[in-house]
Amino acid sequence: MKALKRFTKAREAGSIIFLVLLVLLVGALNPAFLAPASLLSCLNDSVVFTLLAVGIAFVILTGEIDVSIGATMGMSAAVAATILRDGGSWMTAFVMAIIVGAVVGLINGWGVSIMRIPSLIFTLGVNGLTRGMIYVYTTGAWVENLPGSFTKLANVKLIGHLTVFYAVTFTGVLAANYVTNHTKHGRYFTAVGDNISGAALVGIPTTGTKITAYVLCGIFAALAGMAYTSRIGFVTPTAGNGYEMKAIAACVLGGVALTGGQGTLLGAAIGAIIMSSISRILVFMGFSSDYDNTLTGIMLIVIVVVTTVMQNREIIRNHHEILLARTSEELKTVQEGA
Amino acid sequence: MNRSLAEKSKAFFKSWEFVLLVILCLEIVVFATKNPKFLKPAVLLGSLNDIISICIISLFVTFCMITGGIDIQAGSIVGLTSIIIGVSWQDFGFNIWTAVILSVLIAAVCGALSGYFVAYCDVQPMVVTLGGSFLYAGIALLISNLSATASYKGISGFPDSFKFISKYRFGDVLPLQVVIFLVLTVIAHILLKKTKYGRMIFLVGINKNAAEYSGINSKLVMMSAYILSAISASIAGIILTSYLGTAKSDLGATFTLQIITACVLGGTLSTGGKGSAIGTGLAAVVIGVLKFGLPLSFGVNQQYMDIPVGALLLIVVICRSLATNPKVVALTHKTQKAAIKKGSVKESLKAL
Amino acid sequence: MRRRILAMAMAVTMISSLAACGSSSGGAESAAPAQETKAETTAAKAEEKKEAATEAAAPQAEGGEKSIEGLTIAFVPKLTGNAFFESANKGAQEYAKKWGITVNYTGSPNAAVADEVQVVNQAAASGADGICLSSVDATGLDDALKSAMDAGVTVGTWDSDVSTDARTIMVSQGTPEILGKMLVDMGADELTKRGKDISKDAIKYCWHYSNATVTDQNSWQVAGEKYIKETYPNWENVAPDNYYSEQDAEKAVSIGASVLQAHSDVDLIICNDSTALPGQAKAAQNAGLTKNDVSITGFASPQSMKEYAEADILEEWGLWDCGLQGAMGCYLTAYVAAGNEVHVGDKINIPEIGEVELLANDSIAEGATTGDVNNGVVLLPERLVFTKENVNDYDF
Repeated sequence: MKALKRFTKAREAGSIIFLVLLVLLVGALNPAFLAPASLLSCLNDSVVFTLLAVGIAFVILTGEIDVSIGATMGMSAAVAATILRDGGSWMTAFVMAIIVGAVVGLINGWGVSIMRIPSLIFTLGVNGLTRGMIYVYTTGAWVENLPGSFTKLANVKLIGHLTVFYAVTFTGVLAANYVTNHTKHGRYFTAVGDNISGAALVGIPTTGTKITAYVLCGIFAALAGMAYTSRIGFVTPTAGNGYEMKAIAACVLGGVALTGGQGTLLGAAIGAIIMSSISRILVFMGFSSDYDNTLTGIMLIVIVVVTTVMQNREIIRNHHEILLARTSEELKTVQEGA
Repeated sequence: MNRSLAEKSKAFFKSWEFVLLVILCLEIVVFATKNPKFLKPAVLLGSLNDIISICIISLFVTFCMITGGIDIQAGSIVGLTSIIIGVSWQDFGFNIWTAVILSVLIAAVCGALSGYFVAYCDVQPMVVTLGGSFLYAGIALLISNLSATASYKGISGFPDSFKFISKYRFGDVLPLQVVIFLVLTVIAHILLKKTKYGRMIFLVGINKNAAEYSGINSKLVMMSAYILSAISASIAGIILTSYLGTAKSDLGATFTLQIITACVLGGTLSTGGKGSAIGTGLAAVVIGVLKFGLPLSFGVNQQYMDIPVGALLLIVVICRSLATNPKVVALTHKTQKAAIKKGSVKESLKAL
Repeated sequence: MRRRILAMAMAVTMISSLAACGSSSGGAESAAPAQETKAETTAAKAEEKKEAATEAAAPQAEGGEKSIEGLTIAFVPKLTGNAFFESANKGAQEYAKKWGITVNYTGSPNAAVADEVQVVNQAAASGADGICLSSVDATGLDDALKSAMDAGVTVGTWDSDVSTDARTIMVSQGTPEILGKMLVDMGADELTKRGKDISKDAIKYCWHYSNATVTDQNSWQVAGEKYIKETYPNWENVAPDNYYSEQDAEKAVSIGASVLQAHSDVDLIICNDSTALPGQAKAAQNAGLTKNDVSITGFASPQSMKEYAEADILEEWGLWDCGLQGAMGCYLTAYVAAGNEVHVGDKINIPEIGEVELLANDSIAEGATTGDVNNGVVLLPERLVFTKENVNDYDF
């Protein structure tokens, strides 16, 4: 009972309920959608967006934003794919991709938390640089003909139709979710995002926390790049173009507030599932892909407006309660004084 | 009087607009020395033609940013405007100017809708307009399906009177659309700096609650900023449709990041409360000239153009941060850690 | 005072950043040895042009063909970073070296009309002798191209056309009818090979390509659909609105997987987009399907599909030699730019490639008129069908 109550209070609850309703609705229209293979495909196909959304969620939790994540993913993917194509080992590719991601993250973190440049502006600049560097690095050509042993990895199944990729990703997300919610250091992210001055006052290293968030974001982008490379089997210079906005949207769908301090990584992962399932849902509902953007837009706006309005009511109610409590206390003291 | 003029000019030399002007002049000098053709008025002014949409939209997205918001749906409204003009003119048989007015009205409604959610429901502007960018691009595509012309073909064959907007050149040199941009810049500048409305915009951006207490209808002011930026996007859409001679639903899809870049390079604070129309206009031109001049004078391939624009943005913001942000200045002066800590405590106390 | 110092400091950084940009482009080119150093090109352009002018003047007196040597052609793709256009550039650069012309490959990373207009204006202003482009939009570039022509720049097109009066010669890979039929025929061939009776069985098929707004892919789809209705009335399109993946590889795989699951009985998927085809093949591979379970075909470069052909995911797919097409486009644009006059019916000898004939514009677009001189269409010699047997014969 208590668990149920806690669940409904959780920010991601709304997203989970929405996801379930969506699945049931589509299932009612086309029962084929409810087949286990199809449902698990929703999860399997969301692996890239899950990694991106969780990565960016670290940054959003601290109250900042990162619009360079798509380019970072593309750059990591291009670097890793080139190494693999030229016969390098998986390990080298993996390590190099992570290094690329971490370096971009570090630059972002430096600019935002040390140079104090508004994150939107700084990451916008980094986005341009990184995207351009992909073209320089690949000379605009596709990186293709990757070794089959690597591209098959994305399709290795754990149980039934569930891929190892998604299982590992989701376990990682759960672990990270636990760390950010239930450990002292993990809570720094939300603390900084909730009230940076307050966090600084109680001795939380705000600068360090933000840099860590950006580096983690870069590393997750690199992981997404690796997953992308393995899933797709080729890397184009446009890989990840516009994914930053989709990752942000996924976070919002998952109940992560762009103002910072509110939301969970698990929520972001659920938002990513919703986000990446839209085009699949359209296919099953027999809609033309022409409705793709319209539906995404409507869903995004409706969910955000509804949750915000509900939250604001909550905040106002809490305010009232606090006020009431205070006034009653004051009354008490006054009475006692009398 | 004399003194105030001196003061004014002093203030001007200190201003961000002046820095942008210096950058612009430098760009022109560098490009022109490398390739004298660059200075031909037809080339130089013609190069503005291609970026006019971004220039116009960024002027009014600045309004949104001053109120503390952001507008990333403007690019989609360009396409929406274009396809509404095309479909209502060709398939519904509207007069071209009726179609134009209709498109502006619809754009204003789109802006009002997003603005309403931002102002009255307190939803994050970035998310609302992100949703709006998907939604309006999607609607544009659906509208294009109404047309007898398949959506991949683009509706063309507009009357000359409509093409006049983009074709006419004053004295055979100065394109009409550049004049429209200049006029809009002046309008935006006057709106922001000389009217009560402009003061309200700034006040709302600096402190919404304070603005509310001082009797400003801050919600309406915020919403109006989104309406204005949507209308500017539709004006850009009209000009672009006329310039290209074809109405397509995906025009403007690539503008978003360029618009934001122009705004922030123009000195607009993304957290609100600061910005100027002239700064944004200049910044948009700076970016446009850079993107035009580098391929022309240095043979840089267009596909690498993200790099110089990104680098320019980063260099400018880093330099500004080094020069103006006291904490960063302290850092660069290698003051001891203690000093920083003291500063941060002080700042946080101030914030509290 | 500080601000002014700041302004000065910024001025310095600006200059250095400009210089850095110049050098960074140099770095990019050294990575792509096929491209000539552009900085040199610009510097030497003025001289080159003079030379070209004198060279062009000399043979005129003899009444022979004017040489194209030394001319500069701006080669504009719909977008950069796309396998098709990169291969075309590779081909064009190889031939350009042999012919002694300079081909400047320049384009926007976005397939957007406004962006391409900007590229065209830049190319015209940069003093190129000709522009050879693949258009993003059927009419949207007309004005920009016409004003380029007014400024003395010769305009040619390849792959995707503009209005016939906004260019000189178009190198076409075939009409939408030819290409639509080719797509369907490849699919029909695959179906037959796996034992389906294409004229009797109720074949279920669908289309999967980039989006509803790109010109050429949609025109092939429309033509192909018409051909199916006429030839195979027994076929059924399970998704008359088509599936789109917006040239996003990730989306191509997801959509591909969804299509295979939502229509588990689909027989044929036609992917007339170079991102959709590998994405769809990858999705089939992930689902454990081979060419014996579902037929997939479409247009993509041979190298990008090699691994799927070798894994027996698909039987055959097609394209045309885009490198050759790009090179021909550049040659013919340069040919007209050099001052040569060609009329419909004339034969033009392209060194290293062979003789081509100039056809009237209505051979690719019904009812299109053709100008008296320097206007028309050259059809690319052949379209290619790839299988796992011949895929290694092609290197693009």
